[in-house]
Amino acid sequence: MQVNELEKKYNFNIVRWFSVATVIYLVFGTFVGVYIAAELAWPFLNFDNPYLSFGRLRPVHTNAVIFAFGGCVLMASAFYSVQRTCGVKLWSDKLAWFTFWGWNLIIVLAVITLPMGFTQGKEYAELEWPIDILIAIVWLSFTFNFIMTIANRKSTHIYVSNWFFLSMMVMITYLHVVNSLAIPVELFKSYSIFSSVQDAMIQWWWGHNAVGFYLTAGFLGIMYYFVPKQAERPIYSYRLSVLHFWCLTFGYVWLGAHHLQYTALPDWTGSLGAAISIAMIVPSWGGAVNGMMTLSGAWDKLRTDYVLRFLIMSLAFYAMSTFEGPVMALKVVNALSHYTDWTIGHVHSGALGWVGMVGAGAIYHLVTRLWNTEMYSTRLVNTHFWLATIGIAIYITAMWISGIMQGLMWRDYDEFGTLTYTFAESVAAMHPYYVMRFVGGFIYFLGGVIMLYNVVMTLRQAGAERNVSAEPVRA
Amino acid sequence: MKNKNDSTAVPDTGHVWDDNLRELTNQPPRWWMVTLYLSGLFILGYFILYPAIPLATGYTKGVLDWTQMKRFNESVKQIEAVRAPFENKLKGMSALAILDDQELSTYTVRSVKVLFGDRCAPCHGVGGAGNPGYPILADDDWLYGGSIDAIQDSITDGREGMMPAFGPILSEQELNDLTQHVIALSQGTEHAVGKTLFEDQGCSGCHGEDGKGEQMVGGANLTDGIWRFSPGTEDSIKYTIVHGVNEPDAAESRQAIMPGFEKQLSEAEIKKLAVYVHKLGGGQ
Repeated sequence: MQVNELEKKYNFNIVRWFSVATVIYLVFGTFVGVYIAAELAWPFLNFDNPYLSFGRLRPVHTNAVIFAFGGCVLMASAFYSVQRTCGVKLWSDKLAWFTFWGWNLIIVLAVITLPMGFTQGKEYAELEWPIDILIAIVWLSFTFNFIMTIANRKSTHIYVSNWFFLSMMVMITYLHVVNSLAIPVELFKSYSIFSSVQDAMIQWWWGHNAVGFYLTAGFLGIMYYFVPKQAERPIYSYRLSVLHFWCLTFGYVWLGAHHLQYTALPDWTGSLGAAISIAMIVPSWGGAVNGMMTLSGAWDKLRTDYVLRFLIMSLAFYAMSTFEGPVMALKVVNALSHYTDWTIGHVHSGALGWVGMVGAGAIYHLVTRLWNTEMYSTRLVNTHFWLATIGIAIYITAMWISGIMQGLMWRDYDEFGTLTYTFAESVAAMHPYYVMRFVGGFIYFLGGVIMLYNVVMTLRQAGAERNVSAEPVRA
Repeated sequence: MKNKNDSTAVPDTGHVWDDNLRELTNQPPRWWMVTLYLSGLFILGYFILYPAIPLATGYTKGVLDWTQMKRFNESVKQIEAVRAPFENKLKGMSALAILDDQELSTYTVRSVKVLFGDRCAPCHGVGGAGNPGYPILADDDWLYGGSIDAIQDSITDGREGMMPAFGPILSEQELNDLTQHVIALSQGTEHAVGKTLFEDQGCSGCHGEDGKGEQMVGGANLTDGIWRFSPGTEDSIKYTIVHGVNEPDAAESRQAIMPGFEKQLSEAEIKKLAVYVHKLGGGQ
């Protein structure tokens, strides 16, 4: 098909804007992360300024990477793949632009209100009630457009990536609305309608499913479109897709309780969460296996295709962190790991390794297709890949050591039956690993900067080529 | 399957999306199916062993009869069994008596180290080395006395320093003279004009005629070069004289408040802390 025909058939512009926003937010989100990592290692860096303090910048970091970077890459890839797999244009271009500007407005509001100290105090749901309402509206506009596009599809069956996107949309709507139920007292102050341990349970029911549906199901949707596309291979097993899709969709919602082991949460809730968590290892690996086996017989492509490297490495990290997480959910392991840096390490092997790398791979793929060009530099794609991989390795190693050490120090008793270490001693012992984590994060951030440079140069190159462009678009 | 390494040697589902997206009809790997069923069995087993299923009233308790409170209480019991031989002896003993018993005072120091680290060190520093604005506990300069009983009283009830602000009362010249006298005292000399002011204005009432302090009222010793409000520079000393300590309604006044721990800690814990602080190096 010719470029112009594809342009006419699909709405690529919306995908272009989301793609570029994704790369900018990757750099911004990881920059804030690196800065607060530096604050933990060298606390003077907050300069006694409340707006720069760790407590206020941390939600800026988490919201920027999850909702700004993660949200934009999800919306870019969902809007792109749903059109291509359904063979129709988006149901509404206007609604899509509403989603784009609405989502970016939310991000701007987050970056303003969080450092000012406006927060609901719920992890990954810090934003105050007016912004929560806006999130619900914009999210539903995204969802509705997606569903209507599928309803208009030319294909008889719905492609597997779209199941995962749909699962995410339905569940995130439900989770976000319930967890954000609050009674407003002022424009930027509200109180949750739930109290005490019920509130904590609702919060972690949301918290874990932000991971489970937003960062897992949604990104599996990305994986199921971009891995076979980039590898130019068929999906390994349809049956495996179906099985692990339904296992994840029904199983994931039960996991939240594992965030509250050994608290006021009733015993039965905690063990329910732990048991289902362990049972989620295999369904999670189903996705990793299906993605990796799609490359079966074509592994040599990894030698030359750097974008594919991102996608496959992301699946390796996905498999690793979906094993690690359930193990940490078990009460006996949780007794050691809870409240330590091990949790932070686990989150980042998922976020940097899985979400970050599959997202970067998808964006590289998109940039070449959307602007109908090659990357400005494939060597820089490879550089980004190695910086990201090395950065993650340093980061999670630091957090494993620091976290397990913390847990062991906190529970260590001497021969008199009294605690061996004060809390402050455990904090002091973590310092070298905080420095190491900063270094790992900084290397990962550098990879993002290189990606931004490479994408900008590619866009300029595409602009220069446009006059002569009449060649067919790659499938 | 003909070629194990070529998964494409099997038919696809017959659907094609976006020109070349297809799905093969491969079965999931056998190990995957087996472990998937095992996962189901794991849930079943876990639900039988542990509390797991909510009922109309209550929940299934599990055959192990496991509860987190039970596990907590068992752990506490274990630890308390290790501590018991010492703790039983400590019960009837005064802090002074503990100090005299080598074995028990060693135990006390070890057992209360973390409590000191968590509750006292944030102000008084690791090992009682002090922090700017917070007294050193490891030296022999005591505001309220370094005897074991005085230390125990300080921890139990807390302490609140008091010194009036002289800024509104005295002239600039007088304030400077007074400052010079305080500096002179710390160097073993005196400042004639300042000395007169020191006595006339009532400074000696709390700090003593010789400037060596009065522990009954927490009056600081001004002669030993150890300053309650560091650094002991001319500016800092003058600041204290001008603004006073804990002057009500004066935001600029020096703050010197130690909270009482009577309601936060048990009597036994306070007794142990007193022994710990006494043994930091300066107990009298």
